[in-house]
Parts: sequence; C-alpha cells; structure tokens
Amino acid sequence: MKNVAYVYHPDHLLHASPFEHPESPDRLNAINKHLEDVGLLKTLMPVTPDYPDNGDILRVHDPDYLRKLELACRRGDLTLDAEDTYLNKNSYLIALLSAAGAIAGADAVATGKAHRAFCAVRPPGHHAERAKGMGFCLLNNASIAVRSLQALHGVSRVMIIDWDVHHGNGTQSIFWEDPSVFFFSIHENPAFLYPGTGRRWETGNGAGEGTTLNAPMAPGAGDDEYRLVCEQLLAPAAERFRPEFLVLSAGFDAHRDDPLADIQLTDEGFHFLSEFAVALANQYCGGKVVSVLEGGYERESLARCTEIHIRELQKN
Amino acid sequence: MFVTRRMQRKVVVIAPSASLQDARRLMRGQNVRQLPVTGEDNKLLGIVSDRDIREAMLPVELLSGSSENEREKMLESTPVEKVMTRKVVTATVNDSLEDAITLLHDFRVNSLPVLDDKGCVAGIITRTDVLKAFIEALGVGEISSRLEVVVPDVPGSLVGVMTIIKSFHVNIKSILTTGHTEPGTLAVFFRIATLNVGPIRKAIQEAGYRILDPADFRE
Repeated sequence: MKNVAYVYHPDHLLHASPFEHPESPDRLNAINKHLEDVGLLKTLMPVTPDYPDNGDILRVHDPDYLRKLELACRRGDLTLDAEDTYLNKNSYLIALLSAAGAIAGADAVATGKAHRAFCAVRPPGHHAERAKGMGFCLLNNASIAVRSLQALHGVSRVMIIDWDVHHGNGTQSIFWEDPSVFFFSIHENPAFLYPGTGRRWETGNGAGEGTTLNAPMAPGAGDDEYRLVCEQLLAPAAERFRPEFLVLSAGFDAHRDDPLADIQLTDEGFHFLSEFAVALANQYCGGKVVSVLEGGYERESLARCTEIHIRELQKN
Repeated sequence: MFVTRRMQRKVVVIAPSASLQDARRLMRGQNVRQLPVTGEDNKLLGIVSDRDIREAMLPVELLSGSSENEREKMLESTPVEKVMTRKVVTATVNDSLEDAITLLHDFRVNSLPVLDDKGCVAGIITRTDVLKAFIEALGVGEISSRLEVVVPDVPGSLVGVMTIIKSFHVNIKSILTTGHTEPGTLAVFFRIATLNVGPIRKAIQEAGYRILDPADFRE
C-alpha cells in the first residue's frame, strides 16, 4: 500500500461566505467526518501546511493582484471586484494557506516523504488567473504547486488533469504558452456551463501549442463517455508528453447528485478516473501524484467520492 | 449598428488590367478570398474571387497534356476584367449591420464591398466579420454561465426575471430571445457573470417561470 499524505489545516474553515453559498467550510467538515467514520483518516499521513512565503505565490500570480486581494479583505469587501466571488476578512490569508496546502502536498511527494498526496484545501483554485480571481477561486493552488515542483524539486514536465465539472480557465491561461506543463481538462460543454471556455479547439499557443487539451462533454454525459475520453484522448496525450509528475485538479461536481451542473458521473465514475490517473502516474511518473481538491458541492457524494479517490491513491 | 462599425477599412483591391496571376498572388499574400476591382478614384468596377480564377482555369486544366507552364501562361495573359463579376452586390456606408446580414444571406455572397456616397470603395464586410459580431453579441467566450428561461410573450415579462438576477448582484453579459415551441411564450437566453447559478435559477422558478434544461434542446 502506498503512503498517502493528507494535507489539511483547520484554518481552511475561516474563509466563509456572508450569505448562503455552495462553496462553504462544511464541505471540508463533511469530508473529514466521513474519512474518520470509515476509518480511512488514520491510515493517512497528516500534513499541516504553514503559511507560505510570498515568493511561492509570485511564481504564478501578479504582485498587484495580491495587493489588491489583500486590501479588499482588510477593507471588508464582501466580493472580489464586485463580482461573484465572495470574500471575508480572512480570505486573503486562507487563500495563501490553500496554496500552501498544494505546495506541501507536492513537497511531500517530491521529497519522498509520501508516495502520493491529497490536499483537502479551500478556497479552490482552478478558475483563478494570474491577475484575476473568479468562480469562487482566489489563488490557483494547482498551478502554484506545479511551479514549486519545477523551481524547487528539479521537475521539468508536469501534467495537470482537471476533472472538475467546470473548465479550469485559470490554469489553462497560466500555462497557455508553456510547453513544460500539459493541461488536460474534462468538463461540461461551456455552451451550457460556467465559465464558457474550454472548447475543444483551445489547444495552447506559441511554444505551448499542443500542450493544452480540452474535452467538453455534453450535458447528461456519464461514466461511459468519460471512460472513452480517458482512453482515447488522455492516454495518447500522456504517451506523447511523458510527464514526470501528475497533478490532479480533483473536483467532484461532475457527480450526478451535484446541483451545479448536468454531468451524470456515478461513484464508479470517480473510481475509474482515480484509477486511471494512478495508472498513468505509475506508467510515466514513478507513481507520483498530487491531488488538489477543487469543486464538489453536494456534501454526501463529495465525501464518498473523496474516500473512493483516496483509496485509489493508496493502491500500488 | 451600421456596417461601418464592423467593416474592414483597409481593403485589398486590384486594377482591371492586372493579370489573374497577380490577383491570385495578392489573395494568397493577404489571406483574402475576393478582391474588389477598382478603377480611377477607387470606383468599384467589379469583384473577382478565388472561385472565379479557378473556374477560368478549368478549360486549360481539362486539356489533356496541358503543362504547369501553360496554366501559368494563361493566368499571366488573362486580365482580371475578363473574369470579374460586374454586377456586384454591395452595401453602402449608410446601411445597418442588419441590412448587410440580410444581403449576405439572400444573395448568397461571401462579402460586400461597402460604397460611400460617390460610389467609391470605403470598406468591405465579410461573413466572417458578421459571425464575429454575433460571437461577441452572444457573449461566447466571456466568463459567464448560461441561463434559459421561458417567459410569456407579453410586454414587460423580462423585467421580472431581470429583477431577480439584479437582486443577486449579478451582471448580465448578454440576452437573446427567440420564439419558444409553446405558442405565446418566448425563450430567453441569458449569459450571467457568475458560477453560482443555482440560487438564481431557484428564485426564478419560485417566481413561476420555467427554466429550460440543456436536454430540452436536443431535438
């Protein structure tokens, strides 16, 4: 059995909406309670991240954006740029901590302290662009982890697999022209769902042409359709790219019970996705996977599928 | 909106006496599929398309044993005015974008030279320009969620829905209405700047409107 790090910090709960909101602290409470109830938590290696150095964040984000975000939180703004992403007084610090969680997971795996890692962090990250937060995301946790792997651990080629039901527009834009990071996203067709990007012809630009791959799925698609895309699109892409490290943007909102979208994955679908990712990691990356939580808003399926996901990470 | 807002002002034109070879080179170099043919003072005389050139070459190509050389010679020796279309479908600087769209559709042409009051070429508008205008108007590619609501086809019925969206402090990026399959109703498509559509959808439903599901658009 593989040693899996479970990255979590109780302060993640301090970023909370002033009004009823699907991205709320009890998402993590639900996951923690479930993992404890089924006896999984005690089999994991606990990692508590420390607040990060600004330099770790600046590898991805614009310094002016960080200042703006910090100021907005201090000032008590309820939303970022008066748009849909909420803030409270703690949000800036907790966004840093969320990024730190992803870095800590990457660090644990890169240094061999753990074989794999699951980072139970929030706020999520994959919608956040270099200089703009949006879609409940403030800092792009997965991207920050990728950059820290490259800067501190001598990793050159990283593949990101993003199966959150929404397209990871932030991550895509950050690595759009970067041939060293392959971004693969499978999500509901953007004609029907936020954020409206991630069409199949968005494939990167310049030196990064061909290292972005999008698989938009029709509303109503389920396990079979996802399986087909993994086998026919993702596997050949990994074969061509030969990543040294796998980073997962693991959202669980493509589940049929999730209210935010129209994709119909079952628990078995998430079992398959996790198994498939681990197999890719074993084939190309010496098994190294860091999985970072993104969305997932229906508490029961979120907790259940996180358990299923972590159990796959534990397998050889 | 007038065509002048969307037309390209830098128009690649050609003289009537120029050869088909010049025309083909110009099209390839400038990545256009047609060239307005202009005389003195930029007056429009005709239009020549890549298709006109292909059709002009057909007889030579069909000759058995015609060499590359002969084809090139034919292109070199044929002036544009010999193959150009003289009755050109055009727009004027005073036409609206709606006029241009209708002309492009009804006359099945790919582009319209846009003429000023003196009959001189002031610009050109192509199907691509029109599609771009639509993409922008629909809010495609803007960070947003789509929301589809059926409202009664009566004055003011949109206000109710928009008031609900406003109460969530969410911006509307675009609105499109079309007739719905049920008589007396309209389908309204919103692009709204939020990921969190759930509560808005719920509030709209609770107010008595019907929300369309993606599955409703299959057939």
